[in-house]
Amino acid sequence: MSASPGEERWDRRRTRDAFSRLAAARDVDARAHERVRDELVVAHLNLVRYLAVKFANRGEALEDLIQVGTLGLIKAIDRFDAERGVEFTTYATPTIVGEIKRYFRDKGWAVKVPRRLQELNLAVNRAIEKLAVELGHSPTVAELAQQLGASEEEILEAQELGQAYNLLSLDTEVSGDGDKGAQTLADYIGKHDPQLLNLEDRANLEKAFDVLTRRERIILFLRFYESVSQTEIAKRLNVSQMHVSRLQQKALEKLRTALLER
Amino acid sequence: MVDSRIGRVELRIPNRPEWVAVARLTISAVANRLPFSVEDIEDLKLAIAEACTTVIQAGEGEGTIDIVCETDLNELRIHVRDTRPGSADVFQERSEASGIEGLGVFLIQALMDEVRHTADPRAGTELVMIKRVGS
Repeated sequence: MSASPGEERWDRRRTRDAFSRLAAARDVDARAHERVRDELVVAHLNLVRYLAVKFANRGEALEDLIQVGTLGLIKAIDRFDAERGVEFTTYATPTIVGEIKRYFRDKGWAVKVPRRLQELNLAVNRAIEKLAVELGHSPTVAELAQQLGASEEEILEAQELGQAYNLLSLDTEVSGDGDKGAQTLADYIGKHDPQLLNLEDRANLEKAFDVLTRRERIILFLRFYESVSQTEIAKRLNVSQMHVSRLQQKALEKLRTALLER
Repeated sequence: MVDSRIGRVELRIPNRPEWVAVARLTISAVANRLPFSVEDIEDLKLAIAEACTTVIQAGEGEGTIDIVCETDLNELRIHVRDTRPGSADVFQERSEASGIEGLGVFLIQALMDEVRHTADPRAGTELVMIKRVGS
């Protein structure tokens, strides 16, 4: 494998030579030490790049990985002891990888990826429908990958694993009380409480009642809360049924306007 | 009843680069049987790919790569064998090779909890790598 342009080729002899110059300059010639150190960093940048690329599919920018990997490289150069007879690349690889992995951990990567997979899973399902219509046949994995800008492997994995992170049956028993009325997961599934959903409406309606006159409020209360007929209400208020009907309609109109204004 | 986590999966793929993805997918599915984190599973996929690539780059001639995964309560052992007859320890050879090509083995060591390789003139070279849950 040849070095990329701009990066110097390195070989074992040159590396060994550089490390002995580094050791010689340490604590003696600070500027020479720094120069050799820089030389070693530059010479091994392609090692960092090689390793960083291996982690590039995990949702972080390659440039960032190269940057933290280079920090690992510098640490490795500073700690390397040529006397121990280990090749520098052997020594540096775990240090660089460790630095890259630490970067992922610090970024909370472990939390992010399942979501990526699940998002991809949803996207795959949508793309299958879309492509099936466009192509007139059930799409291949390659076609899905192209459509979604993902690799074929990612598509397969999203399909297989994205939907199956810890799938459990609803009938799985969660409280092991033996035969005595064991609880299943299904028993713990919440549902909407209709009373709770109405709470807001009730509060709004209560406020809206302020716009009504006393008589209008009585009519609506009797009509809708007590289910009294208009004729009966007319009798109680000593007015005609037609009048009750008109008042009721007017009251409802006022309520509607008041509620819409909120 | 045997614990649901315990199992053994064997896979034989051609020693050609285009088959490495099959090994990666298999490993991720097997690893998912154990409570590994997603990051661990990514590491396992990277490790198996590096192991296969090492075998593929090292050898000449058609052959197969035999992969055996053994899942235990909290660890996954992966055996990767280069079945070409008489092959020397390709993992040893590659790790001694200068330059970037030889780094695969070190990368695997950086990612796994335990790595060893053996060479048997008849059975071929074998790399065993172990990853433990929560390590």
